[in-house]
Amino acid sequence: MRALSYQGPYKVKVEKKPDPKIEHPQDVVLKVTRAAICGSDLHLLHGLVADTRVGCTFGHEFTGVVEEVGPSVRKLKRGDRVVVPFNISCGSCFFCQRGLFANCENSNPASDLASGVFGYSHTTGGFEGGQAEYVRVPFADVGPMRITQELGDEDVLFLSDILPTGYQAAEMAEIKGGQTVVVFGCGPVGLFAQKSAWLMGAQRVIAVDHVPERLAFAQAYCRTETVNFKDHKGEIVPYLRELCGGRGPDACIDAVGMEAEGIAHHRLIGIGLMLEAGAPTALQWAIQTVRKGGVVSIVGVYGPPWNMLPIGTAMNKGLTLRMNQCNVRRYMPHLLELVRDGTIDAKKVISHRFGLEDAPKAYELFSDKKDGCIKCVLMPHGPQARA
Amino acid sequence: MDLEPQDKPAAVDLHPSRRPGVPRELRPHRAKGVHWDEPERQEPNGRVLKHRGRKELPPVFGTAQPPTGLSGLLRRLAYRIPEEKARHWLTLLLADRVDVLESRLAGTGGVVALLGVSVALVIALRPRG
Repeated sequence: MRALSYQGPYKVKVEKKPDPKIEHPQDVVLKVTRAAICGSDLHLLHGLVADTRVGCTFGHEFTGVVEEVGPSVRKLKRGDRVVVPFNISCGSCFFCQRGLFANCENSNPASDLASGVFGYSHTTGGFEGGQAEYVRVPFADVGPMRITQELGDEDVLFLSDILPTGYQAAEMAEIKGGQTVVVFGCGPVGLFAQKSAWLMGAQRVIAVDHVPERLAFAQAYCRTETVNFKDHKGEIVPYLRELCGGRGPDACIDAVGMEAEGIAHHRLIGIGLMLEAGAPTALQWAIQTVRKGGVVSIVGVYGPPWNMLPIGTAMNKGLTLRMNQCNVRRYMPHLLELVRDGTIDAKKVISHRFGLEDAPKAYELFSDKKDGCIKCVLMPHGPQARA
Repeated sequence: MDLEPQDKPAAVDLHPSRRPGVPRELRPHRAKGVHWDEPERQEPNGRVLKHRGRKELPPVFGTAQPPTGLSGLLRRLAYRIPEEKARHWLTLLLADRVDVLESRLAGTGGVVALLGVSVALVIALRPRG
């Protein structure tokens, strides 16, 4: 089959690789119809995630058609269309039984930090990703959700990660009716966090970024107030606090993660010298901006081993910090209903579509945030699959 | 970009009972679709590295890109170090860079030289005991 292949920092190509096969009785093999490029794939591309091996295929947001079925699979049959959560979860371990599917202990040999994840380095289990013609999907009776006929692949593609991740970010912010929420980041996860904040009754949602096209998109798609932090050089924290009555917002969401712009020393130490796990600028601002007793919700991705953060500020302000990778499976049915009834038109965030062979070009575009790029989607078998 | 401004969506999930992640931890129960007490176990086919805190491989794991060459040796060394130690992660990052170098050398015909160096280093650095 053809698949994306990591070649080293800032370099991917598409090459021939062996077809995936059934390796466990609960596996299925999917023919991939749509695979999105996630902002967190850029952390892999930029060489910031440990144990990212040359030849690895990225991709943890995908839909597909079941091509081959393992002997123990009961729920799926050949020809079923499915969308697949990015976490690989057994559904039966200590953590899955409590709804913490992102923390499954039965799918990641390499680390105790998180579950297995498709195409996200060997740190999350060494599974191949979906930016390929075919992909192996373990625990097929637990994770994948069947797509009904009236829905296209692109209607449900983002149930795999960014929509539930944005929703969980808002949920972890513990939003009560009438509150003010600041969301750092207008990438796809930030956009869905903003939309979800309205769904949870926020009275005011303020989005912070530095890319003008993304701020404009947030304004139109999410109806949020927007702030370009580059317009407030070095003064973004007091500006936001002042904007929220002087005390700061009730909750802040970090939907940026380890490659944030904005503070030079974090860029130098975290990205240039790799002496901390990326640049935690958005999280630092979130902690400093939120009101005393407020909530900071973190869905931005940071790698081990550490980051320099003002934890003393968080303690003295009496903050609640909530965070996790998204427990995708828990959110899929609810968010499917919101997609089905039109409350959320998730596919509107797609700005660019490419064939698989053009994946390197898509990565370049997305990484450089060129051409108003919000979200790139790959079509490994062409556009004919149901969009 | 063609995008019609929309109205703010209604607060349909205002009540916590509408939010799928509340409460954070559920009363323990097996997820829908589970039909086993313990998941069946995948047979290892090639070398799969596991972190030091884990006694055996989990029921499923990825088998892509098994560790090879000097980078593979470095990865094996890294996984002998507990993951709470920074040197575990730093060794893996070093292995990643060596992996890139190895693949580029191999791609430019330096494979024989690289193999020689790798074999010498593997012998010299081989964990003992």
